[in-house]
Amino acid sequence: MLARVFEAAGLVTVIIAMVREHVEKVKPPRSLYVPYPFGFALGKPNDSELQHRIIAAALELVEKPQGPVLADFADDEFADNLPQSSGVTRSSAGEVTDPADEIAALRAFYERWVDDNAGRTAVGLSGVPQRRWRGLVRFLEAYSRGEDVDMKERPADVSLPQFIRYCVDDLKAFYYEARMVQKPSTREPDLHTWFWGETVIGQLIPAVGEHMKDSDDPAAKAVAFGIAR
Amino acid sequence: MPKLDGLSGVLRQVLVSFPCLEPDDTLWTMPGRALKNSSLALVTSAGLHLRDDKPFAADVKGGDTSYRVIPSDAKATDIVQSHTSIGFDHTGIYRDLNVTFPLDRMRELVARGVVGSMAPNAYSFMGALRDVSRIVDETGPQVAQQLKNDGAEVVFLTPT
Repeated sequence: MLARVFEAAGLVTVIIAMVREHVEKVKPPRSLYVPYPFGFALGKPNDSELQHRIIAAALELVEKPQGPVLADFADDEFADNLPQSSGVTRSSAGEVTDPADEIAALRAFYERWVDDNAGRTAVGLSGVPQRRWRGLVRFLEAYSRGEDVDMKERPADVSLPQFIRYCVDDLKAFYYEARMVQKPSTREPDLHTWFWGETVIGQLIPAVGEHMKDSDDPAAKAVAFGIAR
Repeated sequence: MPKLDGLSGVLRQVLVSFPCLEPDDTLWTMPGRALKNSSLALVTSAGLHLRDDKPFAADVKGGDTSYRVIPSDAKATDIVQSHTSIGFDHTGIYRDLNVTFPLDRMRELVARGVVGSMAPNAYSFMGALRDVSRIVDETGPQVAQQLKNDGAEVVFLTPT
């Protein structure tokens, strides 16, 4: 819908479309449908040649005399395969039982990820510094047991469930980035299977989500689905 | 995304029944000049923002319809994502911001002379909104005006 709003204001718009059936309904002025899964609008990470081909195909639509135009970017369809926590069978518990120890063990890999990526990391939504993550784990454990807990890093205008969501997103990013260094050959969906099936945090996060789902607080219910499902 | 008839399960159900607006008219603006002389802006619905900006919220009824400004010269290290959906694979954007938000690719196109220039700002929204009315009536037109004030002529929109 944004494309239509912008076009109405006199701007020339072109969109990369992930769901063909939706753009057929919404009719943005110029759309390029790509056959990739959500999260991969421009095809593949670190494949600048493919990304440029997709962008060029989209920008070609700017030269069309009339519309709406919906073009298809021809490529093999990727399998839609994104394991969620409920779809992963847990393997037997390893030596580590405390998520805080697990995080400590992964830290060196995570730090190498940050170095290798020129300082780039997806961690950073919660504002909880990593030296306080042992406390963060204790906080999440207590929350999942139904205790009345909070953290001082939570801004006054962010609800407790929303703050927990940011914490969980930070933890996920930390684990995935560490794992991509620890075992560089791991491809999706094995990263997800590892996270939900083999890590201790991958057990704690669904427990936090379960507690939210059972809560009477509408803010908690709204966030629960995005924690783990 | 594969076409919906090729999908199965929860995701197909969610997407088939997603409440899209279905307008009857076509909106169309003719480009005023060639792309190589035009100013291009990126706009994304990927829930991206600067690291020190306020993250998007998941606990707003109907979805968070606010937007964030990202200067076009921002570094990838300064951009993070707080998308509410877990229905997509985050590993792509962990590996490369350009897979969702092609800042580097657009800069390269400017350097090659394919695109005239980058507008000074990109704008970011949250996608997967079940109620887009505030986007259509308020925040969308606000950003349209800001894009025009920025001198943007062509807008390249990307989802996550």
